[in-house]
Amino acid sequence: MTTTSAGALAARVLPRLYRDSVTLMALASSLERRAGVTRAGAVMGTPGNLTVLERSGMRPVGLAPAPDDLVLVVRGLDEDVVAAALDAGEAGLVAVEPERGGRRRPVPQTVGEGRAADPGATLAVVSTPGTYAPVVVEQALRAGLHVLCFSDNVTTADEVRLKALAVRRRLLLMGPDCGTAILDGVPLGFANAVRRGPVGIVAASGTGAQEVSCLLHRAGTGVSQLVGVGGRDLSAEVGGTMTDLALDLLSTDDTTAVVVVVSKPPAAQVAQRLLARLAGLGKPAVACLLGQDDTDGAVPVRGTLEGGARLAATLVGAPLHVGAVVPPPAPAARGVLGLYTGGTLAAETRVVLARAGVDAQVLDLGADEYTVGRPHPMIDPSARAERVAAAGGRADVGVLLVDLVLGFGAAADPATPLARAAGTAVAAARADGRDLVVLASVCGTDGDPQGLDAARRTLEGAGVLVHPSNAAAARTAVALVAGGGVPA
Amino acid sequence: MIAGGVRVLNVGLPAVVQGVPAQDVVQLDWRPPAFGDVAAARLGVVLDDDVTRAANRRALAAVHAVRPQLVAVRPARDVVPGLGEGRTLLHAGPPLEVERMCGPVRGALIGAVLLEGWAGTPTDALALIEAGGVTLDACHHHGAVGPMAGVLAPSMPVLVVQDGARRAYASLNEGLGRVLRFGAFDAEVVDRLRWMRDVLGPVLDGALRAGGSVDVTSLVAQSLTMGDEGHNRCTAATLLLARRLAPCVAEQDRGVEVLRFLAENDHFALNLSMAAAKLSMDAAVGVEHSTLVTAMARNGVEFGLRVAGTGERWFTAPVDAADGLFFPGYGIADANPDLGDSAITETLGIGGFAMAAAPAITLFVGGTPDDALDTTRSMARITLGPHPAFRLPALNFAGAPSGIDVLKVLDTGVLPVINTGIAHREAGVGQIGAGIVEAPAGVFLQAVRALHEVRVR
Repeated sequence: MTTTSAGALAARVLPRLYRDSVTLMALASSLERRAGVTRAGAVMGTPGNLTVLERSGMRPVGLAPAPDDLVLVVRGLDEDVVAAALDAGEAGLVAVEPERGGRRRPVPQTVGEGRAADPGATLAVVSTPGTYAPVVVEQALRAGLHVLCFSDNVTTADEVRLKALAVRRRLLLMGPDCGTAILDGVPLGFANAVRRGPVGIVAASGTGAQEVSCLLHRAGTGVSQLVGVGGRDLSAEVGGTMTDLALDLLSTDDTTAVVVVVSKPPAAQVAQRLLARLAGLGKPAVACLLGQDDTDGAVPVRGTLEGGARLAATLVGAPLHVGAVVPPPAPAARGVLGLYTGGTLAAETRVVLARAGVDAQVLDLGADEYTVGRPHPMIDPSARAERVAAAGGRADVGVLLVDLVLGFGAAADPATPLARAAGTAVAAARADGRDLVVLASVCGTDGDPQGLDAARRTLEGAGVLVHPSNAAAARTAVALVAGGGVPA
Repeated sequence: MIAGGVRVLNVGLPAVVQGVPAQDVVQLDWRPPAFGDVAAARLGVVLDDDVTRAANRRALAAVHAVRPQLVAVRPARDVVPGLGEGRTLLHAGPPLEVERMCGPVRGALIGAVLLEGWAGTPTDALALIEAGGVTLDACHHHGAVGPMAGVLAPSMPVLVVQDGARRAYASLNEGLGRVLRFGAFDAEVVDRLRWMRDVLGPVLDGALRAGGSVDVTSLVAQSLTMGDEGHNRCTAATLLLARRLAPCVAEQDRGVEVLRFLAENDHFALNLSMAAAKLSMDAAVGVEHSTLVTAMARNGVEFGLRVAGTGERWFTAPVDAADGLFFPGYGIADANPDLGDSAITETLGIGGFAMAAAPAITLFVGGTPDDALDTTRSMARITLGPHPAFRLPALNFAGAPSGIDVLKVLDTGVLPVINTGIAHREAGVGQIGAGIVEAPAGVFLQAVRALHEVRVR
């Protein structure tokens, strides 16, 4: 041991012990991390290595090992630190590492690696940030996969380009911004546990498709396929490219007897083409175009989801009976406020109210302006619940309309926060000397993970009037306030 | 309606496929591609088509068809194109102006000038170099590769590897310690270079004349089954080469000196595997539309990448120091940014790509043999196919992952792992450790843009 003002330097020679130089460098670097150690070296005692030690001032006086001796040298704060480091170094050299266990299985990361992991894959579901979605969608299409693109914020130009690519390859590109599909009985995204049956649905509307499919289920029939195409598919720019392909597939799908197309009203020339296409489909078809007048031409058109579901159910011989709900006494305030998590359900409510000449404020809380920086209200019900509770303080609102969407992808228990909020709102209004009527429908089936009956009971327990369809709830609102005022 | 049934690759949120039976879902561990550069990712997707795939098959087949033979050891001036004219020195990595060169390269250039006798002192040598009195160029531009500083001077003997009419060259390995390739240039270094010039080169050349050429592919292949990875560990390959040459070397005048030198130099075969890798990769240079990487090289300032479809163009980005293990008394603060043409071995599929073969040096990549297997498996994700000759016993004799694909690097975000030595940042000190570096992402982003430009032109 040499102790100087620069600290202590000491060596330990382990005779005839060979270790690879890499092992020794790793050992030295671990010794250097010990508190109080300034330098450490671990080398075989060759003349070359001794020269290295000499040059870096790390060769204690008198150190003269044989070339096949292992040498540890440590410079540190004091003798104790150095001795402890040498002990640790020696222990490290003779220690035996335990078996670390099985080999790590690589998790596939890219579309190509996923294909390699499961060559039988047929469909890619894409929910990456929208910026990257076109890249992933294109990779999947080129790999021969159908695609459901849940991501939004994809440009129309990308949508047009990628749908053209998909059509060339006879592949479905559902989306972008497609939340719902049921293919061969397999639900994807936000979808309900709907019985399989003879009705094929092509939907440019997620909750619209959920409502229609749930009503068909309630009618005792079911869905063969539910193909989401994304909200813009029937726009003038996209031109119904994917609706066309979906209709091609449904026209030859043996399990499909009747076809329903669900969408917001398309551009005029697109609507014309769509109706012509449906007329030539070879199967009975219903155009469920929200807000359009109900007509019965070669292809019947229905302007509400319930209307479309009702007609399709009739066409497959399973008429839908929507039971009547006895309305309560009308409240003094005639203002109607709708707070919706489902965009198309909100749209249907506006249609029913507008048809009756009732003005109302109906908000789609799933719209981008309400979801910046937070999850969709179908996933996280809390933001909608706050607004429902706050509605109790509005003297101008007498009728509050809400939806509740169950199914795969939705919150585990969306009913409880809504019921609590509704109870809070009703109590607040009452404390203020007013009546607030809360009207709801539950979009779901008895097979959904959340439990349809339980959800309905939870709402009813809070005094909410639960309807068998969203349109029925809107009709009750009309009955209560026809001719009434509009909340600001 | 979906032929084959609904079997899902899920790219993103697991909740979206909550209703799909779990056995029908492959959940990807997806990350943004192309290191988050969406524009580059899009170009990558555009290029990932039948044209590129066919080009890459051609390029990789060309690389794998090369069978380098060590045929001679000759003075560089006699064989390396363009090195015999005037005062020319070659260096590792992409070309670089002398003002920007790092310490070790400057040191090596000084040593080379002294060796050539173009100046009498290090000061005069540096003055000559800085005044432009020496033409400097990249080894790669002359069919050559050099480890670390990679400085090649006209009188230095080079390994000549050949396949048919094509040739590639590398300097002779000086051993460890104070050596020119790590920037050391004192009398010990230059004296050794003189000995290599006057004794080592001629003796080895004579041995090859007497004993015939050496098949480098089988030499490297055998060494991979003996614990080498062909870059940082070349012990087995050196033993095999020395054994092969020994009888003929022993018969040469001063042959025993040469045998003694070979016996003390575990890295001697590194330069041979580098020259062979260079010859192999050059077979793909200029294969139209191929996204295969044909060279990775560093000059201590910049990392350079070459891709088959863009010919001899370099894509460059600043290079970092290696993360590594250090000799006693040194640390990361002393390290020069990475340098050397030796990454040509990884370009072919050995070195860091064949870590699974070299359990003795697994500490460079994490510490255990499993880490080494993971490294090789990870490199398989960015390469075009297994090398047919370089089998890895630890991976059930799978071929070493060979032929880096720019598109796969972008798609996976996995960067090539390169095993490397670490030079002291100051000229003259030499080697201070060894470790690994990753190629910088920027060069792959540049490459995909250039490949796309070539395609749309």
